[in-house]
Amino acid sequence: MKASHKVMDLVRLGLHSILVHKGRSVLTSLGIIFGVFSVIAMLSINEGAALESERALRELGSDNILIRSVEPPNQESKATAEGRGASVYGVTLRDVARLRDNIPGVMRCVSVHKTQKYAHYLGRNLSVTVLGTEPTYAQAARTDVVAGRFLTASDVLLSKPYCVITRSLARRLFGYLDPLGDTFRLAGEPFVVVGVLSQLPSSLSGQDIDVDNCVIIPISTDRTRFGEYEVMWGQGGSRMEKVDVHQVILQMEGEKQVLDGAAIARSLLGRYHDQPDFEVTVPLELLEQRQKQRRLWNIMFLAIASVSLLVGGIGIMNIMLASVTERTREIGIRRALGAKRRDIIAQFLVEAVSLTTAGGLIGIATGMLIPMGIERALSVPAVISIQTLFWPFLMAVSVGLASGVYPAFRAARLDPIEALRHE
Amino acid sequence: MSEELVAFRDVWKVYSVGPEGVPALRGVNLTIRRGEYVAIMGRSGSGKSTLLNLLGCLDRPTKGQYHLGGEDVSGMNDNQLSDVRGTHIGFVFQSFNLIPALTVVENIEIPLFYQGVPRHDRHPRSRELARLVGLGDRMEHRPAELSGGQRQRVAIARALANDPLVLLADEPTGNLDSHTTEDILDLFDELHARGRTLIMVTHEDSVAGRAQRIVMLRDGQVESENHLLAKGPAE
Ligand SMILES: Nc1ncnc2c1ncn2[C@@H]1O[C@H](COP(=O)(O)OP(=O)(O)OP(=O)(O)O)[C@@H](O)[C@H]1O
Ligand SMILES: [Mg+2]
Repeated sequence: MKASHKVMDLVRLGLHSILVHKGRSVLTSLGIIFGVFSVIAMLSINEGAALESERALRELGSDNILIRSVEPPNQESKATAEGRGASVYGVTLRDVARLRDNIPGVMRCVSVHKTQKYAHYLGRNLSVTVLGTEPTYAQAARTDVVAGRFLTASDVLLSKPYCVITRSLARRLFGYLDPLGDTFRLAGEPFVVVGVLSQLPSSLSGQDIDVDNCVIIPISTDRTRFGEYEVMWGQGGSRMEKVDVHQVILQMEGEKQVLDGAAIARSLLGRYHDQPDFEVTVPLELLEQRQKQRRLWNIMFLAIASVSLLVGGIGIMNIMLASVTERTREIGIRRALGAKRRDIIAQFLVEAVSLTTAGGLIGIATGMLIPMGIERALSVPAVISIQTLFWPFLMAVSVGLASGVYPAFRAARLDPIEALRHE
Repeated sequence: MSEELVAFRDVWKVYSVGPEGVPALRGVNLTIRRGEYVAIMGRSGSGKSTLLNLLGCLDRPTKGQYHLGGEDVSGMNDNQLSDVRGTHIGFVFQSFNLIPALTVVENIEIPLFYQGVPRHDRHPRSRELARLVGLGDRMEHRPAELSGGQRQRVAIARALANDPLVLLADEPTGNLDSHTTEDILDLFDELHARGRTLIMVTHEDSVAGRAQRIVMLRDGQVESENHLLAKGPAE
């Protein structure tokens, strides 16, 4: 019982001398404040960014294999060599058949043909992305139909002039009219709206798609109405392009089949393509990669933090040594009045730990403001977890202990008589 | 006869400086009884401060025995000596030695703090002591705001905080003018009258004259002990 309130008194004593030298205390713990501050800011932003990208990747479906046609780098020169001929590249319909038939565990195989066209309705004229695809696209892309229905197998079979549009396009093209059952023209061809989608997952569709303005039509209708060739308008005129399939989504029966399936897809396509005009991405792979990366970043941030806390700790030790020298006489007085060595040790340890703890708390408070501000300003999510707060705080406290030990023991080793004589 | 409070038996103190060391005390024998008021005098360098530091358990004798209150303290370790200082000794220094950052009351309660007296008991006790030494209206002041005489009063109050067996003062009036010196000595007289044991080092005959007994030191030895008969032991 005697010990417990003595501990409280020692804490009060340590805090007292910190408060007496307010300015110096703040300056001293600045290193700790910055250390903790930057770690928390960096960790929470990193966690937030990682969670965001993981969410985006999960949206792609961790059971999906995505195959995309890409324009090979030497396409331009080849096109000019062939004169005004069309550039032909990418995944072909035969490729799709091969993929579907040769990869074990494929549950759905969805082809997407993507073009850019103009939509007309009552004098309105909008540039839209047209996706020619199959009914299974809805499941593979995990989109929700908010009104009407998605495309059906018979739509594809009969090459119906039906389409499903995104909600934001519906609003821009039809205003407050109900788009369902209404007809608009797509590059001159009439299409009937049979359904409205909430939104397309941006990550699945790729960077070159305007996810808000999408029209989805049966792939067969796409081919019969618009043909295989697309005219591309670029700098210095137009050129023709033929891409059978822009994207293939292979939805596997389970995550286990994904990695093997991707390997087969790569070698299969590689055998029939002599130029790199396709790209196989596996969200699951990316997901694992990102997680590994995130862990790496966190370790690096903690390493940076350790350095700044180390430097902060040296600063604390320095000021504590100065404090011991400055207060040599006080130490002598306290010893003469009955303070034991361990009382002196405790006094200076408590002082050092209080300095870094206070610094840590200030660092936490200010460090939390940064991610919160960023979240509000840039709408990037920042995650402040107990862990992001706990580790830097624990480090601050232990830095206080570590940097206080040597000065405290030096103070306790002083001879009372010598200390009393100190000027 | 009242009991022996302080008993030095052939006490030596040799400072380990140079090849042979500096003998500051050379076989001191000294007995002081409870309630006595003793002045220690002697030339500069005769060993007065050394003797007082040993009396106050700030240091250990190189040789010889020291019994304080019947207990042999000459062989104690640092921890035990700290305890003895904290419970049995009250120090008053020439240069006051107050802690500048603390108020009068906070300075007075330092010895109680290290004896583990709870806060709520320390405060009334130190306020009472501040009043006793006539500083009832200065309790929240800091040392820098006090005169020399007032500071020494704070130091005396602090020395009394743990109700010590003996009050040790090393030239307590050395930094004070004659008028303030009188005040402090009056306070000592008052404490002595209440039964305190006082041991005081001084250079001045007039100051030493207030004690009951004068111990003269010369080259680390007791040269003479004069009882001032005019002032008998306190009743
Ligand atoms: N820490 C020390 N190391 C070495 N020698 C010391 C030490 N302290 C005191 N001495 C020596 O011991 C002797 C006695 O010193 P002390 O301080 O006891 O004298 P004093 O009687 O108090 O003198 P003054 O009246 O000047 O205060 C002196 O010769 C001094 O030089
Ligand atoms: Mg002296």
